[in-house]
Amino acid sequence: MSKYIIRRLIQAIPVLFGITIVVYAILLAAPGGPTARFANNPKFTEADREKFKKAWGLDQPIPVQYCRWMGICNPENEGLAVFIGSTGWPAFLPTSISGTTNGLLHGDLGVSIDTGEAVASRIARAALPTFILAGNALVIWILVALLIGVYAAIHRYSLFDQAATVFAYVGYAMPTFWLGIMLIFLFSGPGLNILPAGGMTETRLSPPFGSDTYWPYFAANPATAIVDIVKHLILPVFTLVVVNIAGDSRFIRSSMLEALGQDYVRTAKAKGLPVRVVIFKHALRNALLPVVTNIGLEIPFLFTGAIVTETIFSWPGIGRMTIEATRSFDYPTLMGLLLITSALVVLANLIADITYAIVDPRIKY
Amino acid sequence: MSASMAAPGLLADRPANDILLDVRDLRTYFHVMDGTVRAVDGVSFSIRRGQTLGIVGESGCGKSVTALSIMRLLDIPPAEIASGEIIFEGRNLLKLSEDEMREVRGNDIAMIFQEPMTSLNPVFTIGDQIAEAVMLHQGLSRKEAWNKAIESLKAVGINNPERRVKQYPHEMSGGMRQRVMIAMALSCDPKLLIADEPTTALDVTIQAQILELIRMVQDETGAALMLITHDLGVVAETVHDIAVMYAGRIVEQGSVDEVLLSPKHPYTEGLIRSIPSRGMRGQRLNVIKGTVPNPFNMPEGCNFAPRCPYAFEPCWTLDPQIEEADPPDVACWLYTPAPGFLAPKRGAQRVAGELASGIRS
Repeated sequence: MSKYIIRRLIQAIPVLFGITIVVYAILLAAPGGPTARFANNPKFTEADREKFKKAWGLDQPIPVQYCRWMGICNPENEGLAVFIGSTGWPAFLPTSISGTTNGLLHGDLGVSIDTGEAVASRIARAALPTFILAGNALVIWILVALLIGVYAAIHRYSLFDQAATVFAYVGYAMPTFWLGIMLIFLFSGPGLNILPAGGMTETRLSPPFGSDTYWPYFAANPATAIVDIVKHLILPVFTLVVVNIAGDSRFIRSSMLEALGQDYVRTAKAKGLPVRVVIFKHALRNALLPVVTNIGLEIPFLFTGAIVTETIFSWPGIGRMTIEATRSFDYPTLMGLLLITSALVVLANLIADITYAIVDPRIKY
Repeated sequence: MSASMAAPGLLADRPANDILLDVRDLRTYFHVMDGTVRAVDGVSFSIRRGQTLGIVGESGCGKSVTALSIMRLLDIPPAEIASGEIIFEGRNLLKLSEDEMREVRGNDIAMIFQEPMTSLNPVFTIGDQIAEAVMLHQGLSRKEAWNKAIESLKAVGINNPERRVKQYPHEMSGGMRQRVMIAMALSCDPKLLIADEPTTALDVTIQAQILELIRMVQDETGAALMLITHDLGVVAETVHDIAVMYAGRIVEQGSVDEVLLSPKHPYTEGLIRSIPSRGMRGQRLNVIKGTVPNPFNMPEGCNFAPRCPYAFEPCWTLDPQIEEADPPDVACWLYTPAPGFLAPKRGAQRVAGELASGIRS
């Protein structure tokens, strides 16, 4: 098994390398470019544009730009020497050997054009809010979808099953932005003003989440701070849960129905086992095999977050950052986000495969 | 259930009241979108302790549904047991509560299924799956049940049972899995074993081994056996009595010698004729012409009449019942005079008896 994991991790390296090229190419092909942020600025002259490009290295040929971003090229050198770090060793080697600090290979995702902050630390700051929102939503929707799916499968064609089917179609068809706005309208509107409309903390009472002053505040009043966050979580989590339960509960239902129709379930019944054991041991265990893969592939969501939901509820997470970076043509930030997301998808696939091998004895690596 | 303690083996001398299972006028229907299928339509038979009954017939004739009705393993709905009684040791199984029925399943009546490849749960070890039933029915501890599992694997001729018991079904061949199914069925010492086409999915060489095994364990445990098959060769070797089913009914029953050597019903005769034999090299196989009737549109009169070479006037209008025959061994107007008709003398069909001798050798 560990051999298999190591092999898969090594295989992931060329995949990730390919991803950097594809992501770079897609962003190059997209209309706009980093200077498009000034398109409507009459004070921004052609000379300013050239200066801006030079400052950000955009005047270089595209392969050089890519290599600098990757950390294969040293921006301080010219000509063929670009591949040499300040110590004389090739630039792509670790910083301790080559002295090169720029680029992905040295853990540097560049600087955000929008805020001037390092992309890596900007993403790191937004990751926690997204993890809190997406994690709560994911756990709740998977548990509820399991309950609904399994119960509906056991009581197939019952009133509950029919109701769950209708709910699934409605939930699946419901646009997140509409549901989110309706929830804000209902629970944060003038009528029933019981929940906050957006944000992660009450700004009048606490410092912004993740800022330097927030954690001392949190340490001083942990209960108040947690209750505050939970209050802000309710509406966006509910939105995500409703929309995502639909698909997963149907998936679990059909998987469970398939398992219940298998010969080994009949064998279990023929042994005289109680219905409870037949369903929850023999059928459910098998029904969960495909579900494990499905859940594994939902793991990247914990990082990417929900773009629409975070935007509607002004959640300071990755999803909203993605929208902001796109709007302001912040290419380094976008590159960083896309790259980490792709890497997580590769990783989640690996985790799903490994989990599958653990839960299904038929699979050996 | 009084005089039931006689040693197994002395089957012929058993008193008639030593009946283990008595099925009376069982009718199992399936209510589906297109209408009602009468899968089992008035079937009666009985099995004595230690006795072996073979149920023979084509696919879809209601053999398996009969077995699943006895075990009450059909999903209701769409299935419905419309009428009948299934008396097992004096109790009507159809009247038991679900909990009481669970005590019977696996414990008093065990079942072996046709598909050994899919009948075992792929995610649990063999030992788990055998021990589970033993723990439930015999109240043994986990460890005792595990030992019992090893013992029963040994009893069905599995080498190295201590290792096998920890394996998963996918690590075994089809024949091996069917042995495991048999070990599982026998682990709680059932009084009746129902084997639903136990050899159909196996290689011919393995078939003989599995049949031999079933016969052997039956001898050892004294359990009664209900063997469902479409293979007359299998019943000829294994059973005492035969019931031939066609379109949800038993059309002929009797001892294996009576039925195979001198079949009465034209359908039984057709079945026996259609067995290929060595003397037939270069000839066309005999087949029963036509197909099983459409379950939604059963013929009026005898169900077999459209395919029957001897059909005459009453067969097209009157439905023969096996209970009305004297003795009740065949449902055919050739033997029981239909009201208003004479039963014609027939000699031609006796030829089948000679053909049948081929399959016993």
